[in-house]
Amino acid sequence: MSRFLIVVPPLTGHLTPLRPVAARLAARGHHVVWAGMGPWLRERLGPTAEVHDCVPASFTVGEREPGLRGLAALRFLVEDFLLPLATAMLPGLRAAIVRHRPDVVVADQQAWAGAYAAAEAGLPWATSASTSAELLDPYPPALHDWLSGCLAAIAHPRPVADPRLSPHLILAFTTPELTGPAIAAPASVRWVGPAPQDDPGAWTPPWPARRPLVLVTLGTQSTETGARFLRACAEALAARPELHAVIVDPGGVVGPCPENIHVTPWVPQQAVLKRAGLVICHAGHNTVTESLWHGRPLVVAPIRDDQMIVAGQVVSAGAGVRLRFAHATAAHIGAAVDTIHSDPGYAHAAARIRTAFHAAGGADEAVTHLESLARSTTLIPEATR
Amino acid sequence: MTTETVLAEIGDLIREVLDGYDLGAVPITPDTSFDADLAFESIDLVVLGTLLTERYGPGIDVAGFLSTRTLPEIITLRVGDLAGYVTARLEHA
Repeated sequence: MSRFLIVVPPLTGHLTPLRPVAARLAARGHHVVWAGMGPWLRERLGPTAEVHDCVPASFTVGEREPGLRGLAALRFLVEDFLLPLATAMLPGLRAAIVRHRPDVVVADQQAWAGAYAAAEAGLPWATSASTSAELLDPYPPALHDWLSGCLAAIAHPRPVADPRLSPHLILAFTTPELTGPAIAAPASVRWVGPAPQDDPGAWTPPWPARRPLVLVTLGTQSTETGARFLRACAEALAARPELHAVIVDPGGVVGPCPENIHVTPWVPQQAVLKRAGLVICHAGHNTVTESLWHGRPLVVAPIRDDQMIVAGQVVSAGAGVRLRFAHATAAHIGAAVDTIHSDPGYAHAAARIRTAFHAAGGADEAVTHLESLARSTTLIPEATR
Repeated sequence: MTTETVLAEIGDLIREVLDGYDLGAVPITPDTSFDADLAFESIDLVVLGTLLTERYGPGIDVAGFLSTRTLPEIITLRVGDLAGYVTARLEHA
Protein backbone atom coordinates (compact mmCIF):
# COMPACT_ATOMS: atom_id res chain seq x y z
CA MET A 1 0.00 0.00 0.00
CA SER A 2 1.31 3.44 -0.93
CA ARG A 3 0.19 6.93 -0.13
CA PHE A 4 -0.68 9.42 -2.90
CA LEU A 5 -1.32 13.15 -2.63
CA ILE A 6 -3.18 14.50 -5.69
CA VAL A 7 -2.88 18.25 -6.23
CA VAL A 8 -5.36 20.02 -8.51
CA PRO A 9 -6.36 23.59 -9.38
CA PRO A 10 -10.06 24.51 -9.07
CA LEU A 11 -10.71 23.85 -12.77
CA THR A 12 -13.34 21.25 -13.65
CA GLY A 13 -11.61 19.80 -16.69
CA HIS A 14 -8.46 19.08 -14.67
CA LEU A 15 -10.35 16.90 -12.23
CA THR A 16 -11.90 14.80 -14.99
CA PRO A 17 -9.04 12.39 -15.88
CA LEU A 18 -7.80 12.09 -12.28
CA ARG A 19 -11.08 10.91 -10.75
CA PRO A 20 -11.04 7.43 -12.32
CA VAL A 21 -7.30 7.17 -11.56
CA ALA A 22 -7.92 8.00 -7.89
CA ALA A 23 -10.82 5.53 -7.76
CA ARG A 24 -8.58 2.71 -9.02
CA LEU A 25 -5.75 3.63 -6.66
CA ALA A 26 -8.19 3.43 -3.74
CA ALA A 27 -9.67 0.17 -5.03
CA ARG A 28 -6.17 -1.35 -5.02
CA GLY A 29 -5.74 -0.43 -1.37
CA HIS A 30 -3.74 2.76 -1.72
CA HIS A 31 -4.34 5.82 0.40
CA VAL A 32 -5.42 8.86 -1.64
CA VAL A 33 -5.69 12.45 -0.42
CA TRP A 34 -6.79 15.33 -2.64
CA ALA A 35 -5.19 18.74 -2.13
CA GLY A 36 -6.58 21.97 -3.53
CA MET A 37 -9.43 24.35 -2.91
CA GLY A 38 -11.27 22.47 -0.15
CA PRO A 39 -14.93 23.48 -0.53
CA TRP A 40 -14.69 23.24 -4.34
CA LEU A 41 -13.19 19.75 -4.15
CA ARG A 42 -15.66 18.47 -1.53
CA GLU A 43 -18.61 19.66 -3.61
CA ARG A 44 -17.38 17.63 -6.59
CA LEU A 45 -15.81 14.58 -4.95
CA GLY A 46 -18.46 13.98 -2.29
CA PRO A 47 -18.19 13.15 1.40
CA THR A 48 -16.11 9.96 1.01
CA ALA A 49 -13.06 11.67 -0.51
CA GLU A 50 -10.27 12.76 1.81
CA VAL A 51 -9.57 16.42 1.04
CA HIS A 52 -6.78 18.65 2.34
CA ASP A 53 -7.69 22.30 1.87
CA CYS A 54 -4.55 24.20 0.95
CA VAL A 55 -5.99 27.31 -0.64
CA PRO A 56 -6.54 30.11 1.89
CA ALA A 57 -10.09 31.43 2.07
CA SER A 58 -8.65 34.85 1.26
CA PHE A 59 -7.50 33.65 -2.18
CA THR A 60 -9.69 35.05 -4.93
CA VAL A 61 -9.15 35.44 -8.62
CA GLY A 62 -10.89 37.63 -11.11
CA GLU A 63 -12.91 35.80 -13.70
CA ARG A 64 -11.46 35.95 -17.16
CA GLU A 65 -13.45 38.45 -19.18
CA PRO A 66 -15.82 36.45 -21.37
CA GLY A 67 -14.43 37.99 -24.54
CA LEU A 68 -10.82 37.24 -23.68
CA ARG A 69 -9.18 35.07 -26.32
CA GLY A 70 -5.82 34.27 -27.75
CA LEU A 71 -2.61 35.48 -26.14
CA ALA A 72 -4.40 37.92 -23.85
CA ALA A 73 -6.33 34.99 -22.35
CA LEU A 74 -3.15 32.96 -21.93
CA ARG A 75 -1.43 35.84 -20.21
CA PHE A 76 -4.33 36.26 -17.80
CA LEU A 77 -4.38 32.52 -17.07
CA VAL A 78 -0.70 32.39 -16.15
CA GLU A 79 -0.06 35.78 -14.53
CA ASP A 80 -3.39 36.36 -12.83
CA PHE A 81 -4.42 32.82 -11.98
CA LEU A 82 -1.80 30.05 -12.08
CA LEU A 83 1.06 32.00 -10.51
CA PRO A 84 -0.98 33.46 -7.61
CA LEU A 85 -2.57 30.03 -7.13
CA ALA A 86 0.84 28.33 -6.87
CA THR A 87 2.03 30.90 -4.35
CA ALA A 88 -1.15 30.60 -2.31
CA MET A 89 -1.13 26.79 -2.27
CA LEU A 90 2.50 26.24 -1.34
CA PRO A 91 2.34 26.69 2.47
CA GLY A 92 -0.76 24.51 2.75
CA LEU A 93 0.84 21.83 0.57
CA ARG A 94 3.94 21.71 2.75
CA ALA A 95 1.62 21.10 5.71
CA ALA A 96 -0.27 18.43 3.73
CA ILE A 97 2.97 16.57 3.03
CA VAL A 98 3.98 16.65 6.70
CA ARG A 99 0.55 15.45 7.76
CA HIS A 100 -0.23 12.80 5.15
CA ARG A 101 3.36 11.60 4.41
CA PRO A 102 2.72 10.71 0.74
CA ASP A 103 5.04 8.39 -1.16
CA VAL A 104 4.17 10.17 -4.41
CA VAL A 105 2.72 13.58 -5.22
CA VAL A 106 0.54 13.72 -8.34
CA ALA A 107 0.41 17.32 -9.53
CA ASP A 108 -1.92 18.50 -12.24
CA GLN A 109 0.06 20.29 -14.93
CA GLN A 110 -1.38 23.63 -13.82
CA ALA A 111 -1.04 23.01 -10.06
CA TRP A 112 2.60 24.08 -10.01
CA ALA A 113 2.81 24.22 -6.21
CA GLY A 114 2.53 20.42 -6.16
CA ALA A 115 5.80 20.07 -8.04
CA TYR A 116 7.62 22.58 -5.82
CA ALA A 117 6.35 21.12 -2.54
CA ALA A 118 7.24 17.57 -3.62
CA ALA A 119 10.72 18.54 -4.79
CA GLU A 120 11.38 20.41 -1.54
CA ALA A 121 10.43 17.32 0.43
CA GLY A 122 12.54 15.07 -1.80
CA LEU A 123 9.47 13.15 -2.96
CA PRO A 124 8.85 11.70 -6.40
CA TRP A 125 6.14 13.57 -8.24
CA ALA A 126 4.10 12.85 -11.31
CA THR A 127 2.56 15.35 -13.70
CA SER A 128 -1.05 14.81 -14.69
CA ALA A 129 -1.22 16.36 -18.14
CA SER A 130 -4.86 17.32 -18.44
CA THR A 131 -4.03 18.44 -21.96
CA SER A 132 -1.22 17.36 -24.26
CA ALA A 133 -0.55 20.86 -25.63
CA GLU A 134 2.44 21.65 -23.45
CA LEU A 135 4.16 18.27 -23.79
CA LEU A 136 5.56 19.15 -27.18
CA ASP A 137 6.70 22.68 -26.21
CA PRO A 138 4.74 24.47 -28.90
CA TYR A 139 5.42 28.00 -27.73
CA PRO A 140 7.27 30.40 -30.02
CA PRO A 141 10.39 32.03 -28.48
CA ALA A 142 8.68 35.16 -27.14
CA LEU A 143 6.08 33.06 -25.32
CA HIS A 144 8.63 30.59 -24.07
CA ASP A 145 10.81 33.36 -22.60
CA TRP A 146 7.83 35.00 -20.96
CA LEU A 147 6.69 31.73 -19.37
CA SER A 148 10.21 30.89 -18.16
CA GLY A 149 10.35 34.32 -16.54
CA CYS A 150 7.01 33.74 -14.83
CA LEU A 151 8.13 30.35 -13.49
CA ALA A 152 11.48 31.74 -12.35
CA ALA A 153 9.57 34.18 -10.15
CA ILE A 154 8.34 31.31 -7.96
CA ALA A 155 10.94 28.69 -8.74
CA HIS A 156 13.94 30.17 -7.00
CA PRO A 157 15.56 28.57 -5.06
CA ARG A 158 13.53 25.38 -5.30
CA PRO A 159 15.02 22.56 -7.35
CA VAL A 160 12.40 22.18 -10.05
CA ALA A 161 13.36 22.64 -13.68
CA ASP A 162 9.79 22.96 -14.92
CA PRO A 163 6.74 22.37 -12.68
CA ARG A 164 4.70 21.45 -15.77
CA LEU A 165 6.90 18.49 -16.69
CA SER A 166 7.98 15.95 -14.09
CA PRO A 167 11.26 14.17 -14.88
CA HIS A 168 9.84 11.12 -13.05
CA LEU A 169 6.48 10.53 -14.72
CA ILE A 170 4.10 12.48 -16.93
CA LEU A 171 0.67 10.93 -17.45
CA ALA A 172 -0.63 11.95 -20.88
CA PHE A 173 -4.32 11.09 -21.28
CA THR A 174 -4.01 10.73 -25.04
CA THR A 175 -1.77 8.89 -27.51
CA PRO A 176 0.56 9.84 -30.39
CA GLU A 177 -2.14 8.74 -32.88
CA LEU A 178 -3.79 12.05 -31.96
CA THR A 179 -0.89 14.24 -30.85
CA GLY A 180 1.44 13.37 -33.69
CA PRO A 181 4.91 11.87 -33.31
CA ALA A 182 5.94 11.60 -29.65
CA ILE A 183 9.59 12.12 -30.46
CA ALA A 184 9.61 15.73 -29.22
CA ALA A 185 7.96 14.89 -25.90
CA PRO A 186 9.93 14.46 -22.65
CA ALA A 187 11.21 10.93 -21.99
CA SER A 188 9.08 10.67 -18.85
CA VAL A 189 5.77 10.86 -20.77
CA ARG A 190 3.57 7.77 -20.60
CA TRP A 191 0.76 7.76 -23.14
CA VAL A 192 -2.01 6.13 -21.10
CA GLY A 193 -4.89 7.35 -23.28
CA PRO A 194 -8.16 8.84 -22.04
CA ALA A 195 -9.61 7.75 -18.71
CA PRO A 196 -13.40 7.78 -19.19
CA GLN A 197 -15.66 8.32 -16.22
CA ASP A 198 -16.71 5.14 -14.50
CA ASP A 199 -20.39 6.10 -14.69
CA PRO A 200 -21.24 7.36 -18.19
CA GLY A 201 -24.83 8.12 -17.20
CA ALA A 202 -27.88 7.41 -19.33
CA TRP A 203 -29.54 9.43 -22.05
CA THR A 204 -32.83 8.96 -23.85
CA PRO A 205 -33.17 10.86 -27.14
CA PRO A 206 -36.21 13.15 -27.24
CA TRP A 207 -37.11 11.97 -30.77
CA PRO A 208 -38.96 8.73 -31.61
CA ALA A 209 -37.21 8.25 -34.99
CA ARG A 210 -33.48 7.82 -35.40
CA ARG A 211 -31.44 10.20 -37.56
CA PRO A 212 -27.71 11.05 -37.60
CA LEU A 213 -26.99 12.92 -34.37
CA VAL A 214 -24.73 15.95 -33.94
CA LEU A 215 -23.56 16.98 -30.46
CA VAL A 216 -22.67 20.65 -29.98
CA THR A 217 -20.81 21.58 -26.80
CA LEU A 218 -18.37 24.25 -25.67
CA GLY A 219 -17.43 22.41 -22.49
CA THR A 220 -17.54 23.65 -18.95
CA GLN A 221 -16.35 27.19 -19.67
CA SER A 222 -17.18 29.71 -22.33
CA THR A 223 -20.86 30.30 -21.51
CA GLU A 224 -21.13 33.88 -22.69
CA THR A 225 -18.20 33.75 -25.10
CA GLY A 226 -20.00 31.04 -27.01
CA ALA A 227 -23.40 32.70 -27.53
CA ARG A 228 -22.79 33.86 -31.08
CA PHE A 229 -21.15 30.58 -32.09
CA LEU A 230 -23.90 28.40 -30.54
CA ARG A 231 -26.61 30.41 -32.30
CA ALA A 232 -24.74 29.99 -35.59
CA CYS A 233 -24.61 26.22 -34.93
CA ALA A 234 -28.36 26.21 -34.26
CA GLU A 235 -29.00 28.08 -37.52
CA ALA A 236 -26.82 25.67 -39.51
CA LEU A 237 -28.43 22.58 -38.00
CA ALA A 238 -31.97 23.98 -38.28
CA ALA A 239 -31.36 24.12 -42.03
CA ARG A 240 -30.54 20.37 -42.01
CA PRO A 241 -33.77 18.66 -40.85
CA GLU A 242 -32.33 15.28 -41.92
CA LEU A 243 -30.10 15.54 -38.82
CA HIS A 244 -30.81 15.54 -35.11
CA ALA A 245 -28.76 17.81 -32.88
CA VAL A 246 -28.18 18.22 -29.16
CA ILE A 247 -26.88 21.68 -28.24
CA VAL A 248 -25.44 22.02 -24.75
CA ASP A 249 -26.39 25.55 -23.69
CA PRO A 250 -25.70 26.15 -19.98
CA GLY A 251 -26.21 29.90 -20.38
CA GLY A 252 -29.60 29.66 -22.11
CA VAL A 253 -28.41 31.78 -25.01
CA VAL A 254 -29.61 29.80 -28.03
CA GLY A 255 -33.35 30.59 -28.07
CA PRO A 256 -36.18 28.68 -29.80
CA CYS A 257 -35.21 25.93 -32.28
CA PRO A 258 -37.11 23.59 -34.62
CA GLU A 259 -37.96 20.07 -33.44
CA ASN A 260 -34.81 18.43 -34.84
CA ILE A 261 -32.68 20.42 -32.35
CA HIS A 262 -32.71 19.66 -28.63
CA VAL A 263 -31.29 22.51 -26.53
CA THR A 264 -30.35 21.60 -22.97
CA PRO A 265 -28.22 23.11 -20.18
CA TRP A 266 -26.42 19.81 -19.52
CA VAL A 267 -26.13 16.28 -20.90
CA PRO A 268 -24.43 13.09 -19.71
CA GLN A 269 -21.82 13.61 -22.42
CA GLN A 270 -20.47 10.07 -22.62
CA ALA A 271 -23.98 8.64 -22.99
CA VAL A 272 -24.79 11.09 -25.81
CA LEU A 273 -21.45 10.34 -27.48
CA LYS A 274 -22.47 6.68 -27.76
CA ARG A 275 -25.26 7.79 -30.11
CA ALA A 276 -23.69 10.81 -31.82
CA GLY A 277 -22.11 10.66 -35.27
CA LEU A 278 -20.33 13.99 -35.13
CA VAL A 279 -19.25 16.48 -32.45
CA ILE A 280 -18.94 20.26 -32.82
CA CYS A 281 -16.84 21.69 -29.99
CA HIS A 282 -14.19 24.17 -28.81
CA ALA A 283 -11.35 21.60 -28.94
CA GLY A 284 -11.15 21.26 -25.17
CA HIS A 285 -8.89 18.29 -24.48
CA ASN A 286 -11.46 16.30 -22.50
CA THR A 287 -14.25 16.76 -25.04
CA VAL A 288 -11.96 15.89 -27.94
CA THR A 289 -10.53 12.76 -26.35
CA GLU A 290 -13.95 11.60 -25.11
CA SER A 291 -15.36 12.06 -28.62
CA LEU A 292 -12.49 10.14 -30.20
CA TRP A 293 -12.76 7.47 -27.48
CA HIS A 294 -16.15 6.81 -29.14
CA GLY A 295 -14.64 7.20 -32.62
CA ARG A 296 -16.58 10.38 -33.44
CA PRO A 297 -15.13 12.86 -35.94
CA LEU A 298 -15.14 16.52 -34.95
CA VAL A 299 -15.70 20.07 -36.07
CA VAL A 300 -13.37 22.08 -33.85
CA ALA A 301 -13.53 25.84 -33.25
CA PRO A 302 -10.85 26.57 -30.64
CA ILE A 303 -11.34 29.61 -28.41
CA ARG A 304 -8.04 29.93 -26.49
CA ASP A 305 -5.12 28.36 -24.66
CA ASP A 306 -4.32 24.74 -25.49
CA GLN A 307 -7.46 24.44 -27.62
CA MET A 308 -5.58 25.92 -30.58
CA ILE A 309 -3.02 23.12 -30.38
CA VAL A 310 -5.54 20.35 -29.73
CA ALA A 311 -7.57 21.57 -32.75
CA GLY A 312 -4.40 21.35 -34.84
CA GLN A 313 -3.90 17.77 -33.67
CA VAL A 314 -7.45 16.81 -34.71
CA VAL A 315 -6.92 18.24 -38.19
CA SER A 316 -3.45 16.71 -38.63
CA ALA A 317 -4.80 13.32 -37.57
CA GLY A 318 -7.51 13.63 -40.22
CA ALA A 319 -10.29 13.30 -37.65
CA GLY A 320 -11.96 16.64 -38.15
CA VAL A 321 -12.38 20.07 -39.67
CA ARG A 322 -11.25 23.30 -38.03
CA LEU A 323 -13.20 26.56 -37.96
CA ARG A 324 -12.36 30.03 -36.75
CA PHE A 325 -14.39 30.48 -33.57
CA ALA A 326 -14.51 34.25 -33.80
CA HIS A 327 -15.56 34.44 -37.45
CA ALA A 328 -17.45 31.23 -38.25
CA THR A 329 -20.99 31.77 -39.50
CA ALA A 330 -23.82 29.26 -39.97
CA ALA A 331 -22.60 28.82 -43.55
CA HIS A 332 -19.10 27.79 -42.40
CA ILE A 333 -20.47 25.46 -39.73
CA GLY A 334 -22.97 23.86 -42.09
CA ALA A 335 -20.30 23.33 -44.75
CA ALA A 336 -18.00 21.68 -42.18
CA VAL A 337 -20.81 19.33 -41.08
CA ASP A 338 -21.55 18.44 -44.71
CA THR A 339 -17.85 17.84 -45.43
CA ILE A 340 -17.52 15.34 -42.60
CA HIS A 341 -20.79 13.58 -43.48
CA SER A 342 -19.81 13.26 -47.14
CA ASP A 343 -16.22 12.06 -46.65
CA PRO A 344 -15.87 8.80 -44.70
CA GLY A 345 -12.15 9.49 -44.27
CA TYR A 346 -12.88 11.59 -41.18
CA ALA A 347 -14.81 8.80 -39.46
CA HIS A 348 -12.12 6.30 -40.44
CA ALA A 349 -9.38 8.47 -38.90
CA ALA A 350 -11.48 8.88 -35.75
CA ALA A 351 -11.96 5.11 -35.60
CA ARG A 352 -8.18 4.57 -35.86
CA ILE A 353 -7.63 6.89 -32.89
CA ARG A 354 -10.41 5.13 -31.00
CA THR A 355 -8.60 1.81 -31.44
CA ALA A 356 -5.32 3.31 -30.15
CA PHE A 357 -7.08 4.94 -27.20
CA HIS A 358 -8.76 1.70 -26.14
CA ALA A 359 -5.44 -0.16 -26.37
CA ALA A 360 -3.55 2.43 -24.27
CA GLY A 361 -4.92 1.26 -20.93
CA GLY A 362 -6.41 4.46 -19.51
CA ALA A 363 -6.72 4.78 -15.74
CA ASP A 364 -5.44 1.23 -15.13
CA GLU A 365 -2.26 1.97 -17.04
CA ALA A 366 -1.85 5.25 -15.13
CA VAL A 367 -2.13 3.34 -11.85
CA THR A 368 0.54 0.86 -13.01
CA HIS A 369 2.98 3.72 -13.63
CA LEU A 370 2.11 5.47 -10.34
CA GLU A 371 2.64 2.26 -8.37
CA SER A 372 5.97 1.76 -10.10
CA LEU A 373 7.00 5.32 -9.17
CA ALA A 374 5.99 4.72 -5.54
CA ARG A 375 8.22 1.62 -5.44
CA SER A 376 11.21 3.28 -7.07
CA THR A 377 14.13 3.96 -4.77
CA THR A 378 16.32 5.93 -7.11
CA LEU A 379 14.88 9.03 -8.71
CA ILE A 380 15.94 10.68 -11.90
CA PRO A 381 17.41 13.94 -10.59
CA GLU A 382 15.92 17.26 -11.51
CA ALA A 383 17.73 18.90 -14.38
CA THR A 384 17.78 22.35 -12.88
CA ARG A 385 18.56 25.39 -14.92
CA MET B 1 6.32 53.25 -51.03
CA THR B 2 3.98 55.07 -48.68
CA THR B 3 2.61 53.69 -45.42
CA GLU B 4 -0.89 54.00 -46.93
CA THR B 5 0.03 51.71 -49.82
CA VAL B 6 1.69 49.21 -47.52
CA LEU B 7 -1.32 49.36 -45.22
CA ALA B 8 -3.70 48.57 -48.06
CA GLU B 9 -1.54 45.68 -49.23
CA ILE B 10 -1.26 44.27 -45.69
CA GLY B 11 -5.06 44.49 -45.50
CA ASP B 12 -5.30 42.35 -48.65
CA LEU B 13 -2.83 39.83 -47.24
CA ILE B 14 -4.78 39.65 -43.94
CA ARG B 15 -7.93 38.80 -45.91
CA GLU B 16 -5.90 36.14 -47.70
CA VAL B 17 -4.81 34.66 -44.34
CA LEU B 18 -8.44 34.67 -43.16
CA ASP B 19 -9.30 32.78 -46.34
CA GLY B 20 -13.04 32.22 -46.65
CA TYR B 21 -13.91 34.19 -43.53
CA ASP B 22 -15.55 37.45 -44.47
CA LEU B 23 -14.71 40.28 -42.11
CA GLY B 24 -17.86 41.93 -43.43
CA ALA B 25 -17.93 45.67 -43.20
CA VAL B 26 -15.08 45.75 -40.68
CA PRO B 27 -12.37 47.95 -42.20
CA ILE B 28 -8.72 47.13 -41.59
CA THR B 29 -7.12 50.30 -40.25
CA PRO B 30 -3.82 51.07 -38.51
CA ASP B 31 -5.73 50.71 -35.22
CA THR B 32 -7.01 47.21 -35.96
CA SER B 33 -5.68 44.78 -33.34
CA PHE B 34 -4.54 41.36 -34.54
CA ASP B 35 -5.56 39.70 -31.28
CA ALA B 36 -8.73 41.51 -30.22
CA ASP B 37 -10.21 42.58 -33.58
CA LEU B 38 -9.06 39.94 -36.04
CA ALA B 39 -8.83 37.01 -33.55
CA PHE B 40 -5.53 36.11 -35.17
CA GLU B 41 -3.93 32.93 -33.91
CA SER B 42 -0.16 32.70 -33.50
CA ILE B 43 0.12 30.58 -36.66
CA ASP B 44 -1.71 33.31 -38.59
CA LEU B 45 1.05 35.81 -37.83
CA VAL B 46 3.59 33.28 -39.11
CA VAL B 47 1.60 32.85 -42.32
CA LEU B 48 1.20 36.62 -42.71
CA GLY B 49 4.96 37.00 -42.21
CA THR B 50 5.64 34.51 -45.00
CA LEU B 51 3.26 36.37 -47.33
CA LEU B 52 4.94 39.69 -46.51
CA THR B 53 8.38 38.27 -47.26
CA GLU B 54 7.09 36.91 -50.58
CA ARG B 55 5.63 40.31 -51.43
CA TYR B 56 8.44 42.60 -50.28
CA GLY B 57 11.54 40.41 -50.27
CA PRO B 58 13.80 38.79 -47.66
CA GLY B 59 14.42 42.15 -45.92
CA ILE B 60 11.01 41.70 -44.29
CA ASP B 61 11.48 39.37 -41.32
CA VAL B 62 8.28 39.36 -39.26
CA ALA B 63 9.52 36.57 -36.98
CA GLY B 64 12.60 38.67 -36.19
CA PHE B 65 10.42 41.73 -35.67
CA LEU B 66 8.18 39.82 -33.24
CA SER B 67 11.13 38.32 -31.36
CA THR B 68 12.12 41.81 -30.16
CA ARG B 69 8.66 42.32 -28.62
CA THR B 70 7.42 41.33 -25.20
CA LEU B 71 4.24 39.32 -24.77
CA PRO B 72 2.13 42.40 -23.86
CA GLU B 73 3.44 44.12 -26.98
CA ILE B 74 2.53 41.14 -29.14
CA ILE B 75 -0.95 40.98 -27.56
CA THR B 76 -1.60 44.63 -28.40
CA LEU B 77 0.05 44.50 -31.83
CA ARG B 78 -1.87 46.56 -34.37
CA VAL B 79 -1.88 46.53 -38.15
CA GLY B 80 -0.28 49.99 -38.09
CA ASP B 81 2.73 48.62 -36.12
CA LEU B 82 3.39 46.03 -38.80
CA ALA B 83 2.84 48.54 -41.62
CA GLY B 84 5.31 50.87 -39.91
CA TYR B 85 7.90 48.11 -39.65
CA VAL B 86 7.52 47.15 -43.32
CA THR B 87 7.70 50.78 -44.47
CA ALA B 88 10.84 51.43 -42.41
CA ARG B 89 12.53 48.29 -43.73
CA LEU B 90 11.70 49.21 -47.32
CA GLU B 91 13.18 52.70 -46.83
CA HIS B 92 16.43 51.24 -45.54
CA ALA B 93 16.66 48.59 -48.23
